[in-house]
Amino acid sequence: MNTRDQILTAIRAARERRTPVEHPGRFGGWRPVEPPPPLEGFEAMFTQAGGEVVHVSGTVERDDWLRTFLAEFQHLSMGAGVPPGIADLGPTRINPGDEHAADVGVSMARGAIAETGSLMMDARDGRRAQLLPPVLVVLVDRSTVHATVADAFESARGDLSAAIGLHSGPSKSADIGQVMVKGVHGPGRVIAVLA
Amino acid sequence: MTGSSPEYRPGAYREAAAHSLRETPMVRDSVGSATRTFDSLRAHAYADVESDRWRDWARDVKGHALTHLDQYLEQAERSLVRNGVHVHWAATAEDVHRVIAKVVETHGVRTVVKSKSMLSEELDVNAHLESLGVRPVETDLGEYIIQLLDEPPSHIVGPAIHRSLDDCRVLFHERLGTPLDSEPDELAAAARAALREDFLSADLGISGGNFLAADTGTVALIENEGNIRLTTSVPRVHVALVGIEKVVPRFEDLAGLLQLTARAATGQPIGLFVSLIQGPRTGDEVDGPEEVHVVLVDNGRTTLFEDDVAWEALRCVRCGACLNICPVYRQTGGHAYGWTYSGPIGAIISPGLLGLDRALPLPHASSLCGACTDVCPVRIPIPELLIHWRERTVDEGRNSTAERLGMKAYAGLAERPGAFSAAASALRWTPWRAAGRALPVLSGWVQERDAPSPSPRSFRDLWREGIE
Amino acid sequence: MRVALFVTCLGDQFFAEACADAVRLLRHVGAEVSFPTDQTCCGQPAFNSGHRREALRMMRHTTQVFADAEYVVLPSGSCAGMVRSMYSGLSDTDEARAAAEDLAARTYELSEFLVSVADCEELGDGLTGHRVAYHHGCHALRELGVSDQPVTLLRSCGAEVIEWSADRECCGFGGTFSAKLPEVSAAMADHKLDTLPDVDVVTSADGGCLLQLSGRAGRRELPVPFRHLASLLWQGVAGAEAPRGSA
Repeated sequence: MNTRDQILTAIRAARERRTPVEHPGRFGGWRPVEPPPPLEGFEAMFTQAGGEVVHVSGTVERDDWLRTFLAEFQHLSMGAGVPPGIADLGPTRINPGDEHAADVGVSMARGAIAETGSLMMDARDGRRAQLLPPVLVVLVDRSTVHATVADAFESARGDLSAAIGLHSGPSKSADIGQVMVKGVHGPGRVIAVLA
Repeated sequence: MTGSSPEYRPGAYREAAAHSLRETPMVRDSVGSATRTFDSLRAHAYADVESDRWRDWARDVKGHALTHLDQYLEQAERSLVRNGVHVHWAATAEDVHRVIAKVVETHGVRTVVKSKSMLSEELDVNAHLESLGVRPVETDLGEYIIQLLDEPPSHIVGPAIHRSLDDCRVLFHERLGTPLDSEPDELAAAARAALREDFLSADLGISGGNFLAADTGTVALIENEGNIRLTTSVPRVHVALVGIEKVVPRFEDLAGLLQLTARAATGQPIGLFVSLIQGPRTGDEVDGPEEVHVVLVDNGRTTLFEDDVAWEALRCVRCGACLNICPVYRQTGGHAYGWTYSGPIGAIISPGLLGLDRALPLPHASSLCGACTDVCPVRIPIPELLIHWRERTVDEGRNSTAERLGMKAYAGLAERPGAFSAAASALRWTPWRAAGRALPVLSGWVQERDAPSPSPRSFRDLWREGIE
Repeated sequence: MRVALFVTCLGDQFFAEACADAVRLLRHVGAEVSFPTDQTCCGQPAFNSGHRREALRMMRHTTQVFADAEYVVLPSGSCAGMVRSMYSGLSDTDEARAAAEDLAARTYELSEFLVSVADCEELGDGLTGHRVAYHHGCHALRELGVSDQPVTLLRSCGAEVIEWSADRECCGFGGTFSAKLPEVSAAMADHKLDTLPDVDVVTSADGGCLLQLSGRAGRRELPVPFRHLASLLWQGVAGAEAPRGSA
């Protein structure tokens, strides 16, 4: 018998003696108080974790904001999902594969989650661009902000890429003497731009 | 006993704990302060939600998965294969080592970046990699610290909580050349710079897995630093080591499990970074590993599953909440326990994973205060399981003859009230220190405390005379 | 109210005066108190160290001794927890389980009985001006859910119950644990003692915890007075002239 079958056989033999437990159904995220509307909730949670939120009314305002914000940076890495037309932003665009050389990145979220203040980052947008620059700007379409993680996962399950990352604030660690520091490996500054 | 550290094995628990308390009191300070902070954050995070309901739900999801474990493992395997993942089954650490050796050989791996995985510690993966001539680099900041110190982790979530800021200053000064008065953010920046090189040059990333969703074949990972995302995204090959008990039925189940685990572990609403990994990079993706392996690891888990009481411990999500609240763990941290898993959860899973003989006396390393069960996100009845292992110790004749005979005699007396009260009165007037030779329970007491002063007259006598 | 007092091993030998004070308190709230003299040990030391068979023998004996009692009251949260929370699961037959559950339904820790059954809210004012720290024994707290009752009663006697960050953390007694792993057990007591606020007296519903804390304080030569809750409450009723408890 191969290892796989050995393991499964041992489990089956023991399982005979276990009273089956029923699946409890969908996670309800039960809370004592009614949560705020999704956009408000997302902003509250994301900023509480150290993230920043910018509201823009449309693509023109968004691009204006980007141009102003990015002016102080030298090298920009750009997610593949960022809408075309945001080409000429100031910093030099670096090539895919060289994201570690960028001092700022712009990525496109596939959605966001109010319950946890999370940005849903898709592998199709480019994972290095989401992780290597020390400062990350994430574009979010307001209509993709889900109320709960369960809602977001239900909507995502039919269209899963190789990896989805939930980013809920800047990278942090308290491993050195229990003192909280930012930007350990992932971006130390994350700005969600809601358009 | 000398000042040198006792052996690192569960059997040396008492000596190691005593040694730690006596020789390194600062460990108690660091661990005490870190665990009390973690626990207070957890308490606030539980209070924000209907945590009893969350915990009932999580208990049942994990309970359901375990009572259908073979089915969900087979389903997970099918889903992973469909996603293009190489699936391996490993009964032992050696099986895991073989899988890793093959990947190392195939891809000519020289450097491995690793993200914190207790399973990898359990399996001694780093020593194995070194034996292959491969350099393993721990990338979680806490793991990085203890790797530089050549120490095992002392806590499931905070592997270096037994080390103070000053310890880190000295360590980083010696190894990375940072000034001795560096601030934590400067030390972190130095580690980031060193590890960034390794991320970019490593050929293989090795991670654990917090959960494995059977229906979508999703390996879910929780962290705060971003090193897991990098480990699983940047190198060409990714190997995920996943315990067989980590499988859960549905992708949507992760919604609750990810949040509850974070609340229990660090009091956060969710880990700052969550990775949901389905498989290798696909055609429309610009980066990510070309090859992904998932190793489904048994290594004693089926033995634990076969135990009709202790199997419930397999619900554990490794949040560390039981360590943080445990008054026993707080005195020494994890090293005294002598194996990968410490604290209350270590005391109930080690006997299953290692065998009871090798794990003793860990099930006794608890006052049965029950604080652990109050906080466990999956409601493992930890004190019950501790008592279960103690009962098995007795059933298998592994306790001392003196204890066995003593308990029998005690029970015999308790059935004969006259003899019981006579014996109890005699004990009352026995000088404990002198009697310690015959009754170890008394010498253990007076080693650290004054013997209690008995009442001048027993209650029985007072009652007989009349109480006004 | 007919109350059978179960004084427990430690109560009989080390807290005899406190148990006498428990009798006085129970009579004070109108109970008729009996002391079934055949009582011995609840079996907890055997149960907690894995000697199930021996624990079962002690459980059988105890359920017989208290079979006819209307209420069983213990001046010990830990032993009360054993009877109320563990006996049913320890039972090996349906008959034993029925007896265990029947006994569990009649069993109370002293302060719990005073508040929840005897409906006692006011005892006296004999503790006026006393600064008291209350240690929550783990089994009283978790197995019985006793947390407010002792504090309410102490306050009702005029005591000022001082906040203590470690009041709910285990003292390190744990029965045989204290002797099997004395070094860790002592460190646990040290945390309690090192966080203790400035008080006149430390009290608890559990004699075992008081032995642990006072034994450790004694070894460290810390001048902290410890008294059993029953004695302190009786002082609350009778004033400073009340017979003093033994610890």
